[in-house]
Order: sequence, then C-alpha cells, then structure tokens
Amino acid sequence: MTKPLALIIEDDPQLNTIMSITLQGDFEIESCADGNAGMERLKQTIPTVVVLDLNLPGASGKEILQSIRADERLAKTRIILTTADERQAETLQDEAGIVLLKPISPAQLRELALRLRSI
Amino acid sequence: MSYQFTFNMLPLVIAAAISGTLAGYTWRNRKTPGALAFSALLIILFQWIVSYIFQLAATNLPLKIIWQNITFIGVVATPVAWFIFALEFTGRRAWINRQRLILLSILPFITIIIVFTNSLHGLFRASLRLAAEGGYILLQTENGPWFWVHAAYTYTLIMIGLILIIRALLRWPPAYRVQMILILLATLAPLISNVLVVFSLVPTLLDLTPFAFTITGMGMAYALFRHRLLDIAPIARDIVIDGMKDGMIVLDANGRIVDINPAAQNIIGFSGDGQSIGKSIADVLSQWPHLIESYRNVDEAEDEITLGENDTQRWYELNLTTLRDENKTVIGQVITVRDITQRKLAERLVQESEARFRQIVENASDMIYRFDASGYLTYANPSALHAMGFEKEADALGKFFMNLTAPDARHKLKRTYQHQFVSKTKNTYHEFPGLATDGREVWFGQNVQLIFEGEQVVGFQALARDITTIKQAYEALRIARDQAMEASRAKSQLLSKVSHELRTPLGGILGYAELLHDNTFGELNAGQNKAAKEIVESANYLTNMVNELLDEAQARANTTMLQESVFSPAALLQQSTAGTEILAKKKGLQLITSITSEFPGEIRGDERRLRQIIINLVGNAIKFTREGTVSVSFLHPSSEHWAIQVKDTGAGIPREAQAYIFEPFRQVDSAVTHDNRGIGLGLSITKQLVDLMGGRITLESEIGKGSTFTILLPINKTGVTA
Repeated sequence: MTKPLALIIEDDPQLNTIMSITLQGDFEIESCADGNAGMERLKQTIPTVVVLDLNLPGASGKEILQSIRADERLAKTRIILTTADERQAETLQDEAGIVLLKPISPAQLRELALRLRSI
Repeated sequence: MSYQFTFNMLPLVIAAAISGTLAGYTWRNRKTPGALAFSALLIILFQWIVSYIFQLAATNLPLKIIWQNITFIGVVATPVAWFIFALEFTGRRAWINRQRLILLSILPFITIIIVFTNSLHGLFRASLRLAAEGGYILLQTENGPWFWVHAAYTYTLIMIGLILIIRALLRWPPAYRVQMILILLATLAPLISNVLVVFSLVPTLLDLTPFAFTITGMGMAYALFRHRLLDIAPIARDIVIDGMKDGMIVLDANGRIVDINPAAQNIIGFSGDGQSIGKSIADVLSQWPHLIESYRNVDEAEDEITLGENDTQRWYELNLTTLRDENKTVIGQVITVRDITQRKLAERLVQESEARFRQIVENASDMIYRFDASGYLTYANPSALHAMGFEKEADALGKFFMNLTAPDARHKLKRTYQHQFVSKTKNTYHEFPGLATDGREVWFGQNVQLIFEGEQVVGFQALARDITTIKQAYEALRIARDQAMEASRAKSQLLSKVSHELRTPLGGILGYAELLHDNTFGELNAGQNKAAKEIVESANYLTNMVNELLDEAQARANTTMLQESVFSPAALLQQSTAGTEILAKKKGLQLITSITSEFPGEIRGDERRLRQIIINLVGNAIKFTREGTVSVSFLHPSSEHWAIQVKDTGAGIPREAQAYIFEPFRQVDSAVTHDNRGIGLGLSITKQLVDLMGGRITLESEIGKGSTFTILLPINKTGVTA
C-alpha cells in the first residue's frame, strides 16, 4: 500500500526539512519552496494533506488555499495552514479550520496530519 | 318786621360773598409776606358790605342808624388797611411798625367815637331821614364838619396807596401789561366810585364804594395768586432773597452794601440783621483782600472761589453783575455766592475714585482695552499697548480691530463679535492671534463685555491675557503627544514584527530539538536526550514569551480585537484548568474548580481570551504557591455580572507591589526564581483584556496568606440564550 501524499509548501528551508522529516514516516512527501511551485505541483497531483505556509514568495498561501478550494479535483485534500502571524491565524481559524501558529511542534504536526489522513 | 331783604340786594350779597371768600383764602395764605395786610383789607371790606346790607334791610330809622354806625367801622378801617397793603406790595414793609400803626389809627378811632355819639352833637351827620330809591329804603344824610375831616384823611391814604401801587405797576415788564391794566382799573375802582358818591356826581343815595372795593379785591387776588405777581414784586423779596440758600449782596456805586441776605452774611461770617448794611464791601471782606483785588473794576464775573482752609475750606460759585441805569451809569453791583462745597467734595471723591481705578487699570498685568461700537480702539492700558508693540496710547487709538488681528483669524473674529453685538451677549471669551506692530503674532485670551447705554450697545470692553507662551507650550505639548503616540505605535509595530520574526527560527529550534529528542536522527544517549529536552523546554518558554510580547504590543496599540461567541462556562473552566492541573499535581498542590449553582448555562464573550486570562492567573497562582490549594471559581454576584475568582495559598503580594503588578514588565522581584521566571507581561495583558471586555480586575492579598484575583465581567444579555 502506497503512502498518502503530503505536499509541503514552505519557503523556509529548515522548517520545510523539519516538516518533511516529521511526516516522512507516514506520508509520501513532496515539498515546494515557493507559492508558484506549489501551485504548479497542485495541478499535477492530488495530495491527501497540504501543509501550506501563508506567507510565501510567488503565489500567496491565501491564493493557493482559494485555488484548492475551487478545484473539485482536490475536494478531498486536507489543508494545514501555518503562519507566524497570530492575527492572521485568528482570522483564518474560522475559515480554514486548521491553522497552526509557528513555531510548530513536530509531534503536534504529525498527530494532526495523521488525524486528517484518517478522515 | 325790622328787616326787609329784597332781590335788589343780590349784587351786594355777591360782593360780600366774593370779599368774604377772598378774605378767607388770603387768611389761609397769610404766611406769605404781604398777604396778611391784603387779608385784613378784605376782612374789613367784608364787614363793611355785610353791615351795609343790614343797614339797607333795616326798615326803621333807629335800626338803620345803628347799622350805619357799625358800617363805619369798616369804612374808617379800609383806608388804613389799604395804605398798609400798598406799603407791603411796593416793598416798604420796613416802614410799618407799631408806633406808626397806632398813629395811623388815631384819626379813624376818633371818627368812630364821633359817629357813635353823633346823636349828641351832630358833628358827623347834620341830619338824617329815610328815602326810597330803586327798591331800596335808603338813609339820606347831610354831612357834618367831621365827615369832611374823615373824608380828607381817607382820600389822602387811598391816594398815597394808589400812587405807590400804580408806580410799582408801571415798572412791570411789558409782558405783564394786560394784567397790569386790569389791576390798575381794579385799584382805581373804589376811588372812582367814592368820588362819584361823595361829590354826588351820580344821582344815587346808594354807597357804591363796597362794590368798588370788591372789584379791587378780585383784581388784586388775581394778581396775587393767579399770576403770582407778588412773587416777583418787592413784597416777595424777603422770601426769595432772605429765604434762598445762595448768598446775595447788593452794592451801590460806591461799593457800599445796600442789601445783603442772611445766607450771604453767614458766608461772610456776619451775624445779626443789617449789621453790614451801609458798610463798604472792602471793609466787610477785609479777611480776603485777594477777593477785593480780583474783582475791583470787574463788570461781570463768574468764578469758583474758596474760603477757609483745610477742614473748614468751602467752595463757592461767585457771580458778579454790574447794574446800570438807562444812561449806562453804574448804579451798583449784585453779587451772588452759591455754596458748592458738597458738589466739590463729591467731584473730588469722583476724581479720587477715578484716579484709583485708573491706577489699577494702568498697572494691571492683564490687558484692558475698549473699542467703540464700530470696532475702533478707544482705550488701551499700558499692558495692552506693550503687548501689541505700541509706544504710546496715541499711536494705538483709533485703530480698527481687524487690523490688530492676524489675517487668518480676522474672519472668525469678526463673526464672533458681530454675533455678540447682535445677540447682545453680555460676556464672551475668545482666543485668537493678534498682530503686533512689528508683525509678531500675539495670542490673546480675550473676555469681552458689551458696553451699554440704556438698551443700546455703544462699545466693547475687553480684559485679555497674552497667552502666546501658553499657546506655544500647548503646541509643543501637542507635538510631543503626537510624537509619543507615534513612538508608541512604532514600538508596537516593532514588537509585533520582532515576535513575528522570532517565530520562524523558533520553529527551527523547536522542530529540530523535538526530532532529536524523539530519536528521529538516531538513538540518543541519556545526556543527549536530556539536552534535547532542555532545548525543547527553552524553545517553549521562548515561544510563550513571544506570544505575551505580541499580546502586549497589540493591547498597547489598541489593536486587540475580541471575538465574541456564545460558549459554555463549564466547558471554559474545564478547558482552562486541564493543562494547569498537571503543573499543580507536579508541585503537590490541589486545584479546585467550582461554579456557583445559579450560574447561566451559556455566556457570550471571547472564549479564547477568557481562557488565556484564566490560564495566566492559574499559572501564576501555581507558580507562586508552594503548598496548599489553588481554587478557580465562577461566581454570579449580580444579574448583570459574572466573576472569575482565582485564589491561592501562596506567599501573598506585598502591598507596595499590588500597585504596580498590573503594569507591563513588572514583577514582585523577590518572588521570582529560575523555576517561575517570566517577563512580567501576564498580568498586564490580563488587565488590558479585562478592560477591553468592560470588566474590572481586583486583587486582595496579604503576605503569608495568599492572594485572590477577582475579575468582574458584565453579562452580555443579548448573547445569553435561555
């Protein structure tokens, strides 16, 4: 049985790496370092979980979020938003459902991702 | 019937009534000088006419003779009374004295005796008989020798009196000519009638004299009371001149006093009547030689003079008029002196008062100035002149108020005072920049009162202060405030930015440390594992700090937004204390939670922030309590409020610290150890959040007995569902 796909869109390479390592045991990992790359990748694959940073170079996290929501192909894809901006986290909490405020604990991320995968 | 009254006697009755009424009237006014003699004349006349009526009415001879005798009392007294009246009327009152009066009365007295004893000697009436004429029964007499003595005496007195009065009348001003002629005719009436009767020039036996005197009486009464001619006649001189408060001195051409009234004598210091009459004015006024000197050869003068010194000093208004006859020859001088001391003293008081107020106004540090109703400066005190840069008052007077105002402020100033003028607002306060002569802006804080004359506004009076310094200070303060606010905003932005930027590297630290600790990169030995754990804990602590900093920054910048929703208080209490319960257990403390029985099942509010507050307070309580309990209670003190109470059995907070622990970055220093460290923002943020929620946080604490924090919050009714 192949692992479900987790797409990590995070411009900070360290966090990107940490997230990738955190989730690699349970997910097939693909990662992008900017918004445009993430957008491109989403056209080609159907990830189970997307870990999406809101502040990205290129297409912003918000744009990507909207595009996923608009794409029926990606209807089953779950999204974990990450942000360093508390205010943004607060406002998005209502819309997006899952928002993680940085710094993110790897254990917390893994637990959340696994929970989403099982839905 | 002894008497027979007929209608023919009506004219006599009317004459009696007139003379009686006049007698009564003048008697009531007898205090008026001259009126007494006049009244006496009229009373005598009345007696004459009444007696005459009875004489006429008497039907038998003896009765008629008795009444004729009685009539003669009036007949002989009349010329004497007339003569005295004439003397008084023409200002010769001084001539009348008791001796002369007795002398004048001797002959009439003898006449009366002769009249009453006529039957014995017939000296007065040679024969007597009754005669009827025109409805009257008259006594026809033939005169005896004494009658002619009596007649001569009578006409002499009447003539002298007539001449005196006529002469006086002729001197009256032309304006009184008509009255003068009337009075003259009235005066001549008895003479004419008497002459007619005595010399039998008219064929009648009736004595017309009483009728004639009645006419005279009417004429004189008309003159006396209707036209008040006696007031200006010499007879009234006494009351006018003697009675007046002003002093009057009449001098003859040689400077001798011919008349002086009591007031003038008082002023000069002479007492007693007439002592100074006949003396030279120079002698009388020898005390004040300068006066004699000043007015020697002066024709007309109107001056104010002073007599006496210091306390006894008095002021007089002196009026000097030279009298001349038709040939312009000096016949004398009239000097009137009016005491104006009271007026002078009053004037002096006014002047002193004026000087006093002027001094206050001139020395006032406040600016005082006036404008007329058109807005032109009419007065400015030195302070005002100085502030506006004027050197002297004359430079400023007449300046238009708009030109003394900074151009930008003119329009508003004009509107302000036009409104005050039109609405008649008594008092206004206005601040505006004035324009000094050198172009400086001088700020005025100006109180303006309207000046009224009756209902009309005639100007503006201003009391103002130079508030330039205050304005500048205020401006500096405003700038400082703006800068401070800007700085505060910048600080908040910086804090926000810093906390934001700190999160990313913190993610790296926390992430890698956790991965290490979870043996993701291979099995760790015990030391490595402990190190990884320490890194994770430090990273968590740092994360908390960043969160608090950000909260504080948001609260300071007033950018915190509450997100209200309806929630269950029981769930809130449970969630808030779940995490801290582990900490309490670790320290061996008991954490007790409770909710008052009648607490609402649902409440509206920002649940996340409330949780943050409770975690903060409970966390603090656990941190600073070594043993005992920490209790969290939800209370419902009133229908309008609910409360969160966090109570511990810790060390307590010193009184002095209670004042500052809600301030950011402040902590009770002695209580902080490595184990319970923090940056001191928790309570500050808590208080700011409570304030934002419209609540109140209070603290009760005593050293050694623990602390109780109570947060009182309003219940948002609309949000509470049953």
